[in-house]
Amino acid sequence: MKIVIRMLSVAAIILWIVILFFSVTAVYSVMNLGINVGEVQMLPSSDGIAFSLPFSIINNGYYELADLNLTTCVTDPDGTVLDLTETFVPSIPRGSNVNATHTISVDLDSILAMNHVSLLLNDSSFNVEIFAGLNFARAVPVQLSTNSTIPWGAPFAHFSIGTISVSPHNSTHDKATIPVRFENHAVIDIIGTLKVEVYSESNRRIASGTASINVPSQQRYADSLLVYARQQDASKLTSSGKMHLIFETPVFVVEWWEQYG
Amino acid sequence: MAELNAKSIVRELYPRALKATVWGSVTFLVVYYLPMMLYPTDMLPLDYATPLFQFAIIAVFFAVAGQLFSGTIIGCGFGVAKAIVIIAYFFAVSDGGVFSVTLPISELTVNLAVDISVLLLMIVSVNLINIAKNLLAAIDLLTEQSTNIDFTLN
Repeated sequence: MKIVIRMLSVAAIILWIVILFFSVTAVYSVMNLGINVGEVQMLPSSDGIAFSLPFSIINNGYYELADLNLTTCVTDPDGTVLDLTETFVPSIPRGSNVNATHTISVDLDSILAMNHVSLLLNDSSFNVEIFAGLNFARAVPVQLSTNSTIPWGAPFAHFSIGTISVSPHNSTHDKATIPVRFENHAVIDIIGTLKVEVYSESNRRIASGTASINVPSQQRYADSLLVYARQQDASKLTSSGKMHLIFETPVFVVEWWEQYG
Repeated sequence: MAELNAKSIVRELYPRALKATVWGSVTFLVVYYLPMMLYPTDMLPLDYATPLFQFAIIAVFFAVAGQLFSGTIIGCGFGVAKAIVIIAYFFAVSDGGVFSVTLPISELTVNLAVDISVLLLMIVSVNLINIAKNLLAAIDLLTEQSTNIDFTLN
């Protein structure tokens, strides 16, 4: 009996030493982890905008970091998921460092396909939920979560239509000049064709015109669009109505309605 | 006869009390003072001083009680109680094995969850071994007492 009791005591002491050793070295390892997160960069990509987050992890601890997983979920102010991206690093052995970049690609075509006209015309912000997980020493899973916001610059911010002026063009048609102004708050340049269709209050198309526009990022656009209408419809242009604006680029097409008058 | 009893009690109690005091002090130094010296509170953004102090109180209490009643059934009882209290304490502090904390880091609020189930399992195991050891020690003491033959009796 005495030997059994002695052996149990020895086993308990050994286990306590293991627990204490692991706890102390684990805390020491965590304190010696170097986590550097770079600045979020907003860059134009082939199909939209890419938010790039460079980060590096220097593992100066005693244990391996395994299954590092960084997941971001971007949602618009209404909660619609715009992007779900995951960056996975299988292992960071002790004494090594890992440089990685988490890239969130926001596909403009998909945003515009969701009929988010307000995102075209008004500045907003996207919610970003960030989940990070890793397995410390392949024994202690750690999870981290937070949320943040990314500002969204509208490509047609403060879009406004001025007073339409009409002048005779030829014997059958009149020429109308439509002053248009907006600010490109987006990170990408707005290059494409803006087509304008003017509708009367009775929803009849009375004039149309096209203009090529090239507005660099963070620049203001203020110009006049020329449309041609039959002489009998010219008077309706100066009163009130609706405008159907169609902006076309090689990548996407977006359209929206504006009230004038 | 009463004088002899008092003398024997003092002779028995005095070294035990001294040993208990020394063990209590050493336990406090090892469990609270040493970790606080190695990892001061400003080192990690967590309030670990309070739970550590609570654990130190439990450890000191059972160290003192264990030394005062060592070699007795009551001492074994305190050994079992210590193991059960430590298991319960770690379960309560770690919220069943998943330790969660909310940290304000610059403008963000970061939720951190650490699954220390493996560590908790090891703590439970070592305390179950301690329970078994104390139960066996109690059985051993009772067996010794019941098999002792007092030849002074007529």
